Amino acid sequence: MLTAPGKGGARITALNRAAQRAGLGSGDLLSNARSKVLDLQVRDADPAADAAALHRLALWCLRYTPVVALWDELSGGDGLFLDITGCAHLFGGEEGLLTDLDRRLRAFGLAPRLAVADTAGAAWGMGHHGGRNIAIVAPGEEEQALCSLPLAALRLDAEASLLMRRLGLRRIGEVVRQPRAPFAARFPDGLLRRLDQALGRVPEPLVPVIEPPVYHAHAAFAEPILSQEHVLAAATRLLEDIVSRMECDAAGARLLRLVLFKVTSASLRHDAGMISLDLGLATPSREAAHIAQLIGLRLHRLASELETDFGFEAAAIHVLVAEPLTERQDRLAIASAGRSHATSTSPKELARLIDRLQHRLGRGAVRQLRPQQSHIPERAVRARPAKVESERRRPPSPRASPTSPPIASARGGRDERQRQTPAPVPAAAPHLVLEARIAHDPLPMPEEPWGEGKAARPLLLLEHPEPAEVLAVVPDGPPRQFRWRGVLHQVGEAQGPERIAPEWWRRTTDRARDYFMVEDTDGRRFWLYRAGLYGEDAAAPQWYVHGVFA
Amino acid sequence: MARLERASHGPSAHLSLGTDTLHAHLPGPGLPCGVLNEILAAAYADTAAACGFLFALMAAASSMRPGPAVFVAHRRCLTDLGAPYGHGLAQLGIDPDRLLLVEARSDKDALWAIEEALRSPAHPAMVGGWMEDGLDLTTSRRLNLAAAPQATPLALLRARPASGTTAAATRWRIASAPAACDPFGAFAHPRWRAALERCRNGRTGQWLIEWDHVAHRFRLAESVADRTPVARRAG
Repeated sequence: MLTAPGKGGARITALNRAAQRAGLGSGDLLSNARSKVLDLQVRDADPAADAAALHRLALWCLRYTPVVALWDELSGGDGLFLDITGCAHLFGGEEGLLTDLDRRLRAFGLAPRLAVADTAGAAWGMGHHGGRNIAIVAPGEEEQALCSLPLAALRLDAEASLLMRRLGLRRIGEVVRQPRAPFAARFPDGLLRRLDQALGRVPEPLVPVIEPPVYHAHAAFAEPILSQEHVLAAATRLLEDIVSRMECDAAGARLLRLVLFKVTSASLRHDAGMISLDLGLATPSREAAHIAQLIGLRLHRLASELETDFGFEAAAIHVLVAEPLTERQDRLAIASAGRSHATSTSPKELARLIDRLQHRLGRGAVRQLRPQQSHIPERAVRARPAKVESERRRPPSPRASPTSPPIASARGGRDERQRQTPAPVPAAAPHLVLEARIAHDPLPMPEEPWGEGKAARPLLLLEHPEPAEVLAVVPDGPPRQFRWRGVLHQVGEAQGPERIAPEWWRRTTDRARDYFMVEDTDGRRFWLYRAGLYGEDAAAPQWYVHGVFA
Repeated sequence: MARLERASHGPSAHLSLGTDTLHAHLPGPGLPCGVLNEILAAAYADTAAACGFLFALMAAASSMRPGPAVFVAHRRCLTDLGAPYGHGLAQLGIDPDRLLLVEARSDKDALWAIEEALRSPAHPAMVGGWMEDGLDLTTSRRLNLAAAPQATPLALLRARPASGTTAAATRWRIASAPAACDPFGAFAHPRWRAALERCRNGRTGQWLIEWDHVAHRFRLAESVADRTPVARRAG
């Protein structure tokens, strides 16, 4: 028996059959109950743990349908709605599904009451007050089924149900027969809304535990599958199913989720017995082979997690994000590429390469650099996950340096061939554009062209500037020698300073930096800066190495 | 025979470096494509210079071939000396918009990524790698096989070369050299001491080369007037 603090002392919130038989009921005072029954076992109720367990159960129920919703407070908060539209046939009809669900839940040690109806409200009512453990309401027979049930089956709040009891209305049938307009005028709208919801006159939106996918395919296996290859084969079959539907809608998947359901043992564990893999794609795709290949790469990385005792008994693929994808003339492109040797890159192939690299090496491993409008060197470039977009979103980039023609043209006969390469070389390359996701930076900087108005910048920039011991002839002057990472460098040539002031609008504690490009006597070039100015700050200026030049 | 070979490889079997002196030592008019080219730093401190040489090659390849330039690096190499910096790359003549940076957690992953890029129908302009070592005869042969069908230029910077035998076509050892200065005393072009240590079907050699980031070509530094004392400021 579970109790929670209530009005007038601890009250019973849940009790087992033995306690019910002893004449106790939910809501009784604990002290009264103790006087009735001597050998009571009492524990404190733990609503948080209950909610967590219910949530786990909801995730487990995803094996039946992608739309699983937890009951809200008014519905009791102790059960689940499953939207089994279009899913029941996979389990041998509604009856088969309920039997299967019942068997499995009982294996967990639960005592389920299951009901299927056209509306969530009717199913709830049948489940609670139908008097049967498994109830199926045939389509269109909600009213008939509900009429004999008590009004409590409508999920009314305490106030409304009290009012109804005082008016002598006990059964739903009695309310249904009442004239509607006077009823609506006299009672809180909750009652009629609940009634309408139960009868399917107004919709009752469910709030699913996970976002419902745009496309969804599901398979339950007759025999559990164990090996990676079998998982992959199953996923491919599901993908083919989804792909044909996406083709009809001219859509492509951008984000997919593969969910594998383990054969669960007696109890639900924390992971709810399932593995969920999210696959992001660099460009929308609906090619089963390509996506299956990515899944294969991911499974390869997850090899240890895939080891289960009994294998997987069901799998589902959800397309979480889909984007419009019109059919392109791929074959023509390949043919033209084959004729002239100047092979150009198709954005699609590039996207596939990025996809493959990302799924094996991890998200964020494949990056592209974007210039940002900032004077602070480490903020002037942002590395973002690479993504391919068509030409139209290509930003105008008047490039400063690399647009000069190929130099091969001035050099005799053997360079004839090189001239055949397509002339506007950068245009032939598909453009890599990055996700326009808002970064954590509260003040995102607009982009600007590369190398615009910049003094010399290093090839490699250290992630964090590293302190260096510097000897300078004059305090403000360039370094004469410096020690970095334990090595003493004699400075042969130094250029600078380039002063970079902190961005005052950013409330930083940064100090102004004086950058020097320094070459030691061996010809190695470093980028050093002095943080702080002599005489202006209280703290002594500090030298750092920030990067190395080629 | 040579013509046949060239025909099978297409016009891009060599990556022009821009100077005939270098080409004379190489089997063709430029760096061989479709095979592995190794780059080593003369000393640890020259790693940045070697990296610069690799990016110079990538800039040259990008200017002559379409497609993205793929740079695969071991994570430890990036954290050691820093990651490629966009504006610095642009100043070296690379279009950072066409550069795909791939970070691998191990040499094995890096090799996989390089192979994947080489075999990809995306036809990268060039694949460059920066890894700790992980390269031996077998893996380098694999890379050669992967690079050959599309004649993709491939160069690999090895930070800590342990084994001596690889199937690389060329091996360059790069050391830093004092940069040339323009008449105003600013550093103009990076210079490297490049030693061609090994060259299949060619000769070894040693040069002081200078990278012209505007024309995307190397040139010999001897032919350019050396840094004049006038332009030198008293450091």
